Amino acid sequence: MQNDECIYIGEQFTDYQENSLTSETRARVDAHLTVCSSCRDIYQELNRVLDQLHEFPSLTTKPDFTQNLMSKIDDLNHQSPWQRVYQSSFTRVAGYAIAAGLIVALGLNIWIDPISPNGIRDYTGRENPQIQPMESIADNVDSLLGNTADSLKIPHRATNSGTSSLQLVSDTQ
Amino acid sequence: MNKTKTDEQLIAEFQGGDDHSFVELVDRYKDRLINFVYRFLNDMTDAEDLVQETFLKVYKNKHAYREIAKFSTWIYTIAGNLARSELRKRKRRKTFTMSQLSYEDNEFTPVDPDKDTEGIVFNTYAGEEIMKAIKQLAEPFKTIIILRDIQELSYEDISTILDIPMGTVKSRVNRARLKLQETLSYLRE
Repeated sequence: MQNDECIYIGEQFTDYQENSLTSETRARVDAHLTVCSSCRDIYQELNRVLDQLHEFPSLTTKPDFTQNLMSKIDDLNHQSPWQRVYQSSFTRVAGYAIAAGLIVALGLNIWIDPISPNGIRDYTGRENPQIQPMESIADNVDSLLGNTADSLKIPHRATNSGTSSLQLVSDTQ
Repeated sequence: MNKTKTDEQLIAEFQGGDDHSFVELVDRYKDRLINFVYRFLNDMTDAEDLVQETFLKVYKNKHAYREIAKFSTWIYTIAGNLARSELRKRKRRKTFTMSQLSYEDNEFTPVDPDKDTEGIVFNTYAGEEIMKAIKQLAEPFKTIIILRDIQELSYEDISTILDIPMGTVKSRVNRARLKLQETLSYLRE
């Protein structure tokens, strides 16, 4: 049956096995192991496991391991500078960042549509009647000039014989 | 002749442009690293690929090594990080595959007799039992058992490789051993 003392003793097993306990603690572990068969069994089993771990069969690499590695290194050394840049992790990260930036820019471009049939959208995407398209500005100028030009009779278009209105955008008449 | 040189001398020579010193380091560490990495991956081909990748990293980043740490802790850290990263990838692949598999896809795949067993046969029943028990340990305990009891590295080196205090290393070793012992007693029942 494990109690607090058994838990404490269990925590000391590695140091006990490696002889790195103080003499006082070592004596306490010794004393406990003589009276507690459960901890004694655990400790003996632990030692068996450790022995087996230390005798674990050792693995070896294939005989051509070094040769394969060196041919990979040869390939690496014969890569052109562009190939190295292309394969470097920095370039990959930079590539992802540029792609993400382009996607964001494209998204913003669709969201803030500068050419809207009914007016111009502001930065929030809503149509803003205060922002006027070029055609309506032209109309306003036209009407303004028309009023004043009527009195002044200024021919403001050499090609037009009359006093037609100023056409900022195109000849619509 | 190189036998008398320390690892740190060899890496310094390699940093100075001597590729023969690199080959000497490869010869010194390839088997140690394969033993370390194989315990994580349980696949000899994958383990060899990962050790090759470790050496390639050493080759490409030779100037990243500074003689404030031992060469062994540096190379074990690289190999350990790569092994952990590979395990994470495998976990993700496994989750994906299991979710994608339909009943029809789940066909029987014959076991390749050469796979996983190249160069190693655990002849003893005890050896197989211990391997099973190590596999069942949680990752931090598994790593610590491999480094301390199979690779037989010092507490100081393990502390540097895992970047944890020495006291934590010691207590984790103790807990890992007890867990291993507990698992083995369960398997033997």
